[in-house]
Amino acid sequence: MSILQNIASGLRALFGKKRRDKELDEELHGFLELAVEEKMQHGMNRPDALRAVRLEQGTLALAKEAVRSASWESFLETCWQDVRLAARTLRKNPGLAAAVVFTLALGIGANTSIFTLMDRVMLKPLPVAKPAQLYRLGDNNNCCVMTGPQNGGSFVLYSYPLYEALRDHTPEFSQLVAFSSHLQDLSVRRGGDSAAARPYKGEFVSGNYFEMLGIAASAGRTLAAKDDTAGAAPVAVMSDHTWQTHFGGDPSVIGAAFTINTVPYIVVGVTPPQFYGDTLRSDPPDFWLPLSAHPERWLFGPEPEWLYLIGRLRADVSPAQVQAKLTGELQQWLWATGYPEATPEQRNDKALVEKYRQEINRQHIRLTPAAGGVNQIQTEYTAGLRLLVTLSGLLLLIACANIANLLLAHGSANRLQTAVRLALGAPRRRVIQQMLTESVLLALAGGAAGLYVAYTGTQAILLLAFRGARYIPIDARPSLPVLGFALALSLATAIVFGIAPAWVASRSDPADTLRGAGRSTSDPSSVLQKSLVIVQVAFSIALLIGAGLLTQSLRHLEDQHFGFLTDGRLIVNVAPGLDGYTPDKLDGLYQRLEETLTRIPDVISASLSWYSPLDGNNANERVYIQGKPPDYRWSAPSWDRVGPHYFQTIGTRLLRGRAIDERDVPGAPNVAVINETFASRFFPNEDPIGQRFGMGDESHSGDYEIVGIVEDAKYQDTRGPAYATSFLPLLQTPPGEPVRGWVGAIELHVAGKPENLEPAVRKAIAGVDPNLTVLNIMSFGEQVARHFNQERLIARLTELFGALALVLACVGLYGVTAYAVARRTNEIGIRMALGADRSNVLGLVLRGTLSQIGLGLAIGIPAALAGGRVLASQLYGVNSYDPVILGLAAALLAACAILAASLPARSAARVDPVVALRFE
Amino acid sequence: MADKSSELVQGTLDMLILKTLALEPMHGYGIAVRLEQMSKGVFRLNAGSLFVAIQRLQRDGLIKGEWKPTENNRRAKYYALTDQGRKRLSSETKEWGRQVAAITRILEAS
Repeated sequence: MSILQNIASGLRALFGKKRRDKELDEELHGFLELAVEEKMQHGMNRPDALRAVRLEQGTLALAKEAVRSASWESFLETCWQDVRLAARTLRKNPGLAAAVVFTLALGIGANTSIFTLMDRVMLKPLPVAKPAQLYRLGDNNNCCVMTGPQNGGSFVLYSYPLYEALRDHTPEFSQLVAFSSHLQDLSVRRGGDSAAARPYKGEFVSGNYFEMLGIAASAGRTLAAKDDTAGAAPVAVMSDHTWQTHFGGDPSVIGAAFTINTVPYIVVGVTPPQFYGDTLRSDPPDFWLPLSAHPERWLFGPEPEWLYLIGRLRADVSPAQVQAKLTGELQQWLWATGYPEATPEQRNDKALVEKYRQEINRQHIRLTPAAGGVNQIQTEYTAGLRLLVTLSGLLLLIACANIANLLLAHGSANRLQTAVRLALGAPRRRVIQQMLTESVLLALAGGAAGLYVAYTGTQAILLLAFRGARYIPIDARPSLPVLGFALALSLATAIVFGIAPAWVASRSDPADTLRGAGRSTSDPSSVLQKSLVIVQVAFSIALLIGAGLLTQSLRHLEDQHFGFLTDGRLIVNVAPGLDGYTPDKLDGLYQRLEETLTRIPDVISASLSWYSPLDGNNANERVYIQGKPPDYRWSAPSWDRVGPHYFQTIGTRLLRGRAIDERDVPGAPNVAVINETFASRFFPNEDPIGQRFGMGDESHSGDYEIVGIVEDAKYQDTRGPAYATSFLPLLQTPPGEPVRGWVGAIELHVAGKPENLEPAVRKAIAGVDPNLTVLNIMSFGEQVARHFNQERLIARLTELFGALALVLACVGLYGVTAYAVARRTNEIGIRMALGADRSNVLGLVLRGTLSQIGLGLAIGIPAALAGGRVLASQLYGVNSYDPVILGLAAALLAACAILAASLPARSAARVDPVVALRFE
Repeated sequence: MADKSSELVQGTLDMLILKTLALEPMHGYGIAVRLEQMSKGVFRLNAGSLFVAIQRLQRDGLIKGEWKPTENNRRAKYYALTDQGRKRLSSETKEWGRQVAAITRILEAS
């Protein structure tokens, strides 16, 4: 009851402030008047009585303040006053306010973006039911089809029969699902639609996939077990993103007929908006199809291992036990089904059997938590994200140091004002509260700006990280805990360093400050300020050196000689197999494509190949050289199939012999072109031309005759040396084997910008066959550039952070120097009056600055060298202690810092001694 | 600026003001004078402490104020006990008596 009354009367007081003030005034006035009258009755004259009462009672204003501050609503009132005062102070110091808000916005924004990405990519579980129960059978991302034991013995790819066996014999999983280890290109056309088919991505999954994940369709239904049986009518589930962006959320899509890779499907439903499948990646599946609908029937045999498995573990079992049980099941399975080609003699060979047994005993399954699904991006970006987190942390520290510095300078500048307020009787608490309000106001403004920076920053980083992606299923909105943390940190900085000077000022005797204002030469807070600048310089030089190293490394990577030329080259991806082509039709298609494409104006040459350099594809197989024993020392060389004019089209130089050309058709003698590494590895002391080799086993060693050698080119790994590679004609196969040269890429060498030719190329391909789906079309340069997404992201962000650190360090130095100059104006005046000239003064001011820069560099460079060792593994073609980069970074920092400090130094040198001496 | 009220036992100022007002409504200065007289000059309140206490008592609904003319025709705010204030005074007086008796017993025990 009384609390309510209290609040009511408080609110009344707050709103009727004027009236209340007047009443209190009148009441107190009356009080004092009565006291004076009484004293006069005792014989004093009025002035004496008034003096006596004042001495006894204090001033009217003090009493009023005591009464007012005793009530709770007065707190709100003073807060409001403080806020208005703070806003006024900041308006008068727009430079300070802008610098603090800018610094905070960058510090908070950068960290919130990076940590948001970290949170979304590394920590956030799949948007499925109870993700913590999910476990994956395997611990790496090997792809895509293997046979037999797997590298290192850790199983990750499974054959379909092995999946069935594990599923049926491991009741510890309430559900175990299988899905293809990589996404398939789909060529999709809606039933009755006459337009050309469009390219999409699809994933083949077992029938219990959605049930296990606990994903219900947002419209229609998901796949069910009955859809994944032989002879079931083919059905597909569409992703919400695809439904919305490509079909406008049209409800008639559900239940509609679609032609996918020439097979009629019914789309039975759409997944919920947040669902992106089992793997966080750019361009997630547009369609989910049942495994049974997979066109490659051979994949379902016991040999090909091509499926990833994820299961939902029952709550009452321990993962370790299940892991041991799964390994046992796997070894049993391998023992029962492995080595089907072994002859009876081999099976009776005890030593050989023992070797098999040992190999099988090494095979095992590692059960890994899969709350985040298959960790693909997570694994790829771990090192990069760690580095970015460290760098953004450094930036935040620099930002905090900067804010501390600016506020310290501001607080010290206000010392005189604080002293005056204290002398006039302001309570210490109020003085500090007022400074605090100012800092909090700044921190909040900085936080709001930081929110904006964080949001745009996250989006920009996602675009950089997934260059070329059509859709990134990662939410760019800052995560709340992260934002809260960054905001709390900056608030803490602002508060600590905002009230520290106020605290110091309020503890000292105001009279001292007033007497000595502007004359003291020692100042404890300036030591702190100088140390902060030194720390800033040290961090900045470390960041700058890191940025220099990573930028140089990226430049070396991108500008290296790859063994092909990207200028004026366009790459088109097709997959005739998806569009219903059979091998016998390929020869005609390829000839028509080459003819038509070469006729396009501005096309210099055109060629076809299975895959093109750095498009992500790679094939390797062991080779057998005719007349030589098999050599198992080397890993299997790569091979590709290419058409006529291939090497000239992509700009790879022919070193000897001839390239593959129009002669090399099925039926003509089988030929091959090899690269330098292949030549030097397998024919170190002889001429490779005219030699024969083959793949598969020794009986094939005479399959292909080497007719040419080309320079090495990097097709897969851009950091290491080129792989040994052989190039075979598109349609030649070993004697007795069917033609099977599927083309995946078309290369065009053109005049002018390759992108400009896209419409003409699309038209030409549609002219050859309107049903041939163009999966992708981009310049060769872009295809290569996408290889360096992560390196580019990290280099660009480090550059950005380095530049910001540089700016912040300069702002800090400027602030400290300007403050020092302002404080020493008097001293400078005296020195000049005593005969010091401008260069003396300039030297006086700059000496301090130079020593700060020097100390910062002395700390920062060794730190950067130590940190560079961590970076070394990510660098290409540049040492972590590259002296040129170290020197340049140090010179850049020193130059900027001296420039920042020389502005106030010059103004000090222009001081008029007469004015300076009068300056208070 | 001597403020003798600070020597008051914590929390007793409110009780003393209530006691002062139990006899008749009074303005602020009157309360101060009466307290000084009754305590024979031991308790001398300054305006600040007095009006803080008055504001507190008013907020708690123990006293209420009313503007009235004084003897020499000025305007002053006269405070009077409410029913709640009267109850509080009697309960606090009893409690005070009990505590003082207890303290005395302790001090006199040897």
